[in-house]
Amino acid sequence: MTGIDIFKIWAPTEARWVDWVRPVPFVSIDNGFEVYEVIDFTIPNISYIKESKKDTAIIVDLPGNESIKEGLATAKLGFRPIPIYNGTDEQKGAMATVDNHSIKIGLIKGARELQKMEISNDAPPTFLLDSNRMNRFKMNVSVFDNSWDIYAQDIPSAEYFLKNGINKIIVRGEKIQKDLKKILYKFQKKGIKILYTNGYEEPKEVKIKKTLEKDD
Amino acid sequence: MKLVSIPKDKYNDYRLNLIFNAYKWDPQFLDNNTVAKYALVITEQEHKELEKLTEKLDKETRQAEEILNKNLEFTKPLALPKKIYKELKNMKNYQPEKHIRLMRYDFHPTIDKNWVVSEVNSDVPGGFAEASIMPQIAIDVLKEDKYWYKNFGDILTNAIVKKVKPKGTIMLVHCTSYSDDRQVMQFLGDKLKNMGFNIIYGAADHLRFKNNEAISILDGNEGKVDGIFRFTPLEWLIDIKPKHWQGYFDTITPSCNHPIAIFAQTKRFPLVWDFLEKQGVDLSTWRELLPETLEVKDAKNKESYIYKPACGRVGEKISIKEACKDDEYEKIIADVKKHPKKYLAQKRFNSKPVISEDGESFHVCLGSYSVDGKHSGYYARISKLPRIDSNAADIPVLIERGCE
Repeated sequence: MTGIDIFKIWAPTEARWVDWVRPVPFVSIDNGFEVYEVIDFTIPNISYIKESKKDTAIIVDLPGNESIKEGLATAKLGFRPIPIYNGTDEQKGAMATVDNHSIKIGLIKGARELQKMEISNDAPPTFLLDSNRMNRFKMNVSVFDNSWDIYAQDIPSAEYFLKNGINKIIVRGEKIQKDLKKILYKFQKKGIKILYTNGYEEPKEVKIKKTLEKDD
Repeated sequence: MKLVSIPKDKYNDYRLNLIFNAYKWDPQFLDNNTVAKYALVITEQEHKELEKLTEKLDKETRQAEEILNKNLEFTKPLALPKKIYKELKNMKNYQPEKHIRLMRYDFHPTIDKNWVVSEVNSDVPGGFAEASIMPQIAIDVLKEDKYWYKNFGDILTNAIVKKVKPKGTIMLVHCTSYSDDRQVMQFLGDKLKNMGFNIIYGAADHLRFKNNEAISILDGNEGKVDGIFRFTPLEWLIDIKPKHWQGYFDTITPSCNHPIAIFAQTKRFPLVWDFLEKQGVDLSTWRELLPETLEVKDAKNKESYIYKPACGRVGEKISIKEACKDDEYEKIIADVKKHPKKYLAQKRFNSKPVISEDGESFHVCLGSYSVDGKHSGYYARISKLPRIDSNAADIPVLIERGCE
């Protein structure tokens, strides 16, 4: 399968929310890309949510492929996984801050799993993020920094969520990272309930505090 | 000019084709699809006029920057960041013929007169693949042989070939954390690689300078660099504080763009025109096309002026009230009051919307490129609002043969 074939599986044109699938990791996937990669791709069982609800979206923010596998677990419950990975490839030969390569393998393997599932075209979304994205540690200046942030423009607006019946967003991760906090703080102000779960406990509502932005 | 629809049954494939074959990696911005459902078709006459105006503006701009480079004491009204101002004196060795000068002038059709130019993207204009591959994909979909386009990418890379040694190493300097920067660089890098160059994707701090020549320190890619293509805005270089970033100002390594671009990049450029004209620089085309531009304080109590940030990009922080969301307008006005020198006041022009075949109305920003003084193609965006910003949609520009 080529990048475009895999993209079409993740973003079927007739489904809702797929306009936000970020093309970045897909565009550099070529035929035979994954041949030498062996990874465990067992889809986990999740217990923090039992079924999809029309008023609830999820943001899965876990390291690398874990986010894809967990996204597929929510797909089994009726959510539409929306990958929004935005990290680029490092310059050939250079050490990089983030491994964006493994995301591509996960998207290929995930596409095969998705093909086996039937997800309703109007399923609510699960947005998938790599929690390693903000790894900016550089042992020296010669390292290629391909870390990235999620910005408000990368997902639907609060108004769009509300207009489409979503008034709750569950964040599943090890914590709510600061780039996400900036976005969700504004969502909360506009009436969207933000819940958090570490994957073991029931999602609980959280109040996100304002993060000081450069523009404020 | 007119809008020609991409056939509805072909639009999804067209968009997908742009994503995968035309480096359009950002097809969605917030709730907006950034791929227009139309092509913008201009007549041969409009094209000839824009070509002529672009080259005249370009000649004036390049003359202006050479004069300013020799008379730095008169650049104060530009209110450039202090750290940049300090480095300007190091550009004395600037030789225009050694570097590649790329600019994009933003034209708008208006109700009052034919064209208005809102600004020049003098430092790091983008939109390369949209101006090079997107029009061909649109022509293929429209299946019309009456349309043609100027391939910007071909013209830019041919200019690079003339100034960088064959098979040399070129670093594409950009913010490596931003995929929307990388998509522009990837287009250019793939094209230059096919022409035999060794391409390095790197950040501003991956270059060092020795004897005014650039050297890559990027891990696994160390060594001499024969050409610099910079997509990191000059004013961002000082924010990220790379060691030895000052080397960009006096390097003899062929650069596109050399920091000389900063004089016209600031939107406060018109505030030094009086001085330039006294030095004999002809700015008549600029005077004709750019709306009146004033210091913020001089626009007080005057009607129909908007505020623009001196270092603004992609329409950010322009005080067009109906285009601002939430409390954005109030925030801009508060910032203008706090930092008037970081802004300018410009007479607002009445953009003339173009109506599509299906009756939709769009404002147009038609970016017209120049490379080393020659007109080199178009990059356009359309929006339902008069401010053309990141929410606008990219649209291919086609020229209709024989259509005067």
